[in-house]
Amino acid sequence: MGEIRNDAAVMAALGRQMTRAVQRQAVAAGNLANLDTPGYQTKEVRFTDALDDHLQGGVTVAVTNKAHLGGPAGSASGPESGNAAGLQSRRDGNNVQLDRELLAMGKAASDFSAAQTILAAKFRLVRYAINEGR
Amino acid sequence: MSSTLGSAIDASASALDAQRVRMEVAVSNLANAESTRSADGQPYRRRDVVLESNSFGAALGDPVQATGVRVAGVLEDQSEFQRRYEPTHPDADKDGFVAVPNVNVPEEMVDMLGAARAYQANLNAISLIRDTIQRALELAK
Repeated sequence: MGEIRNDAAVMAALGRQMTRAVQRQAVAAGNLANLDTPGYQTKEVRFTDALDDHLQGGVTVAVTNKAHLGGPAGSASGPESGNAAGLQSRRDGNNVQLDRELLAMGKAASDFSAAQTILAAKFRLVRYAINEGR
Repeated sequence: MSSTLGSAIDASASALDAQRVRMEVAVSNLANAESTRSADGQPYRRRDVVLESNSFGAALGDPVQATGVRVAGVLEDQSEFQRRYEPTHPDADKDGFVAVPNVNVPEEMVDMLGAARAYQANLNAISLIRDTIQRALELAK
């Protein structure tokens, strides 16, 4: 717990987790929309690239969980989306898999939900402190 | 963030639109499976929907945007008409054959099923995104 210095860092990390979840959800929604578009290739958000960008920025990483990304809240480098590898294409050149995308959407939704719950609890604590425990 | 979610809803909505068109075309193909006359005097030609992906956010410079879909066109299937021997039919030629539309009923049924499933999946996606927006709004309470 030594790396977590203040509430602001935790909140920023939670905020980033929510942003990432939303991006994953948006990309999965786009893939679902193109379920029957000939030649369409499944897109995905590249997290390792985003993580590398953050780490190479020389910032101290405050993480509450190994899966969280560290770095300052307003980091300039954003994640990229690219074509997903290792998926079998159908005959029309489309490689969107319905179950994979629905799963990704559901997972992103629950990630978002988890971060939102913790963030709401954090906000409650801060409000409690502001009101001097009343 | 909201623009990302907005683009996701736009993409899903565009897919609902496209799948509805696909369904309508499949229905009109089925309805006209036996139409031996159309506006040009020929039997009805089977129609096919061409889908094309359509990026909403690319112009805005956001790399993580949902890709929508749109109907690029509805094309007529130029394959041969089927010929059926039916001498009593008013549109029969002098040998007794009638040219009937190049519609394959099972194929249309499968296409309709696919469109219905895709429609459902996208509707599901919209409700998931709405849940996410709702959760985000709860933070302000």
